[in-house]
Amino acid sequence: MTAAVSGARGKRRAQSRSAGGRAWVVHAALAIALVAAASPFAWMLSGSVKTDAEIRRVPPTWLPDQATLDNYRELFERLDFTRYFVNSLIVTGAVTLGNLVFCSMLGYALAKIDFPGRRALFALVLGTLMVPGAVTFVPLFVLVSNLGLVDSYLGMILPFLAGPFGVFLMRQYISGLPDEVIDAARIDGAGQIRIFLRIVAPLARPALATLGILTFLGTWNSFLWPLVVAQSEEKYTLPVALALYSIGQNQTRFGLLLAGAVVVVVPVLVVFVALQRFFVQGIATTGLK
Amino acid sequence: MKRLVTVAVTIAALTALNGCGRNAGGGPPDRPAETGAGPARGTVTVWAMGTEGEKLSVLAEGFEAANPGVKVDVTAIPWDGAHDKIASAIAGRATPDMSMVGTTWMGEFATTGALDPTPAGFDKDAYFPGAWDTTTVNGTSYGVPWYVETRLIYYRTDLAEKAGVKPPANWAELTSFVTALRDRGGAAYGISLPPGGTGAWQTFLPFAWQRGASITGADGAFTLDTPEMARALDYYLSYFRKRLSPAALQPGELEQGFIDGKIASFVSGPWHIGVLKDQAKGKLDGRFGVALMPRERTGASFVGGADLVVFKDARNRHGAWKFVEYLSRPEVQATWYRTVNDLPAVKDGWSGITDPMLRLFGEQLGDAQAPPAVPTWEQVAAVIDGELEKAVKAGMPSDAALKAMQQKAAAIGTGP
Amino acid sequence: MVVRTARDPAPAPAVPRRAGMSDRTRRGLAAWGFALPFLVLFVTFMAGPVLASLLMSLTDLRSADLRDPLAVNPVGLDNYTRLLRDEVFLQAAVNTLYFVVIGVPLTIVCALAVAVLLNKGVTRLRTFFRVGFYLPVVTSIVAVAVVWRFLLQPDTGPVNQLLRLAGIDGPHWLADPVWAMPALILMAAWRNMGYLMVVFLAGLQSIPRELYEAAEVDGAGPWARFREVTLPMLRPTLLFGTVITGIGYLQFFEEPLVMTRGGPLNRTLSVSYYIYNQFGFGNYSYAAAMGYVLFVAIVVLTVVQFRLLRPRT
Repeated sequence: MTAAVSGARGKRRAQSRSAGGRAWVVHAALAIALVAAASPFAWMLSGSVKTDAEIRRVPPTWLPDQATLDNYRELFERLDFTRYFVNSLIVTGAVTLGNLVFCSMLGYALAKIDFPGRRALFALVLGTLMVPGAVTFVPLFVLVSNLGLVDSYLGMILPFLAGPFGVFLMRQYISGLPDEVIDAARIDGAGQIRIFLRIVAPLARPALATLGILTFLGTWNSFLWPLVVAQSEEKYTLPVALALYSIGQNQTRFGLLLAGAVVVVVPVLVVFVALQRFFVQGIATTGLK
Repeated sequence: MKRLVTVAVTIAALTALNGCGRNAGGGPPDRPAETGAGPARGTVTVWAMGTEGEKLSVLAEGFEAANPGVKVDVTAIPWDGAHDKIASAIAGRATPDMSMVGTTWMGEFATTGALDPTPAGFDKDAYFPGAWDTTTVNGTSYGVPWYVETRLIYYRTDLAEKAGVKPPANWAELTSFVTALRDRGGAAYGISLPPGGTGAWQTFLPFAWQRGASITGADGAFTLDTPEMARALDYYLSYFRKRLSPAALQPGELEQGFIDGKIASFVSGPWHIGVLKDQAKGKLDGRFGVALMPRERTGASFVGGADLVVFKDARNRHGAWKFVEYLSRPEVQATWYRTVNDLPAVKDGWSGITDPMLRLFGEQLGDAQAPPAVPTWEQVAAVIDGELEKAVKAGMPSDAALKAMQQKAAAIGTGP
Repeated sequence: MVVRTARDPAPAPAVPRRAGMSDRTRRGLAAWGFALPFLVLFVTFMAGPVLASLLMSLTDLRSADLRDPLAVNPVGLDNYTRLLRDEVFLQAAVNTLYFVVIGVPLTIVCALAVAVLLNKGVTRLRTFFRVGFYLPVVTSIVAVAVVWRFLLQPDTGPVNQLLRLAGIDGPHWLADPVWAMPALILMAAWRNMGYLMVVFLAGLQSIPRELYEAAEVDGAGPWARFREVTLPMLRPTLLFGTVITGIGYLQFFEEPLVMTRGGPLNRTLSVSYYIYNQFGFGNYSYAAAMGYVLFVAIVVLTVVQFRLLRPRT
């Protein structure tokens, strides 16, 4: 297999050299698109070191007149940052881990095991995915309150521990994997759990990375649910705490808001950079040979 | 496990909906309890928004010193999401002892039956009347005003001088004032009024009040298509028809336009003093001022702010009301103003405020009104905002707009 | 797609205690075992609230009843029939449809193009590019709103300045009843592209490299390889992406919230935004009814998507 892969690489390299001009065009086009994609982010960064007055200016400025770290200083002075960061980490870590494990389990079963109730179960997952969240918000809180989970990490984690989104994603990805690999393992006498852990999970690494990135992002940024479940500031997550002083009754402190947004985004980007390396073409060579 | 059973029973009960229904006459009316004598004890849990929540512990120290054995436990909650948090807490029976509540939410929360009526010991005359009205739902008061804000006309004094005009006393003068600011003062627009859209009612309704219109009649039903209302709407629209006010403005354009002298005046609350000074970096020093609302039958403005409420499910009801009472003392209100710049809702709390602009806000508070505290208010307000927008931007005739407002408001009703 | 039972081996003698069970039963047990954690969480946290909100939509429950939710009147389907007469809801439904029909294909095509290019076309600074295209997803909506408003400014905005170079007098975008929605669609496509890009990048990994090599040997050019190998093999992921985007776009809400507040003249008001408003007004039962109408719309859309992107068998 290694020989085949390296042979293919050699061929590709030769070809990419011949298509050097085309690669340049692609790079240039992507670079232009990149500017369009990233400019609001750049403005967010520069806004976080501006005064409120400058942020409110019309038309907006791209570089600050006078860069200031006052927004960050104020945030860190007024907030018990470590505590909120740790809270966010606990909740997001647990939810992400739960989704990775539970969703890939069910996703595998739905994709590759033929069993009674399979279609109904998949329909249930999809149905759950489609229920607009706003509709169930209040009943869910009443439920969580009756279960005694208000003001606890569990109350923030459990309702989202295995989301239909993840099941659907994993099911779709795994169903794209060739059946032959799994059948081969079965012929070797492997049980379902073994196949799942040893064959499917490694092959599904790109999908797991995706699910990790997206679940982390969604949970890390979630605002209303942690706010409603937490009864004391000790349980606030980072986005909840960061919203405390930026938005007022009649006016918004844009500097604090943007500095907060920058602070929240850092871990999300770290996770993205760490996991995106699983998107490397060629991991999924099937091992058919 | 027992709780799980409760949930199951609740769901089962919901299924058998035929067995329930509203009480025909409603329950017995809420009767206020006495504040009760004796010092407060135990822990008082309080929710307050943002900066208020952060700084409230400063006031709590004084209260704790005066009442040995009491501890105030403040949780700061972000404004963004505060309404949903309180509503969910009421549904899940997870409320604190007391909370700060935006004035326009009072009707909704009081109607749930979650709020404790204000004890008899509180003197309503100590508060600004418009502010006290925000706590009164169906004739019963559920809490007290904590801090207030009202709206004045901000204008460029230098442009007014150039145009040779003085702050207006009535509608006719306001029109000529604004026209002069544009034609002789050199501004592109003499004034900026909200052309409909979210929150525009807060600027429009004062004109209706000034004309003597009232939002609800004696029977409590909406009266949005009265002749007074029509006069007010025509007057409001005249600023757009004569192009004295811009009909579309992006966020931020107002402040920038005012600083640049393109927009000569606008209507807003006290926070804009700081915003303008901050953004103008000295360019506006001595060049802007505030003026009272024009007076027709009344000179009314809008009053907003926040109230303090105690929940019926409070574990420490007595302690909570004691703390509310403490926060209403004039000297505590004055301290609060010095701490977070919130304008006192108690008239005697104003004695220490000397800034002339703020004094004028204080004067306006004597003639400021709040919308009726009915649970459907936000929805009716959105109707007003929407029809106003159609009248300003889509050329809908004012009588048709008012008719639509009235029809939709009547269909929404004033709640159960 | 289905596991080929014919190729299943006989029960392995190495596991004697299972000898009595049929192959089918064992597979069923294993599958439901894999499903167990999801099901437990579903029954605990999802089933009850869904049922409760469904029943809620058949009553006249308002926020004023929150403390005593059982003291409401059953009103049957009144909330649903009321919807059909609610001109604002109907406008919102039309707006939402418009948004989905244009927005979903646009977003899918952009995201797929970027993913394919980033997967193979880009050799240098790969991580840098990927992070760059992911940035819109993580940028604070406030910053997004400020910059997009600036881009779309009628007089000074770059978009209209570019149009002017081409001799076109650009519209008032966000203040224009006709052009506000296209502006929001563009913005949504921009925001969600990075999200889908991640999904597609992962999906591209499941395509065995041998297939490309075989196609190359057959003399297929890049476009032919994309059509003959990438697209068919990416079907499950494409289906996922389309369904997720469809669901998300049917519930779109943030863009109008920060950019137009549903205006001008309700032209960018979405169903979700209207639900959000009705919740804010405390009309819980009415909002729930709208939520379930939206639910049905999502189901219909998803079924259509499943039909269109059904794997070839």
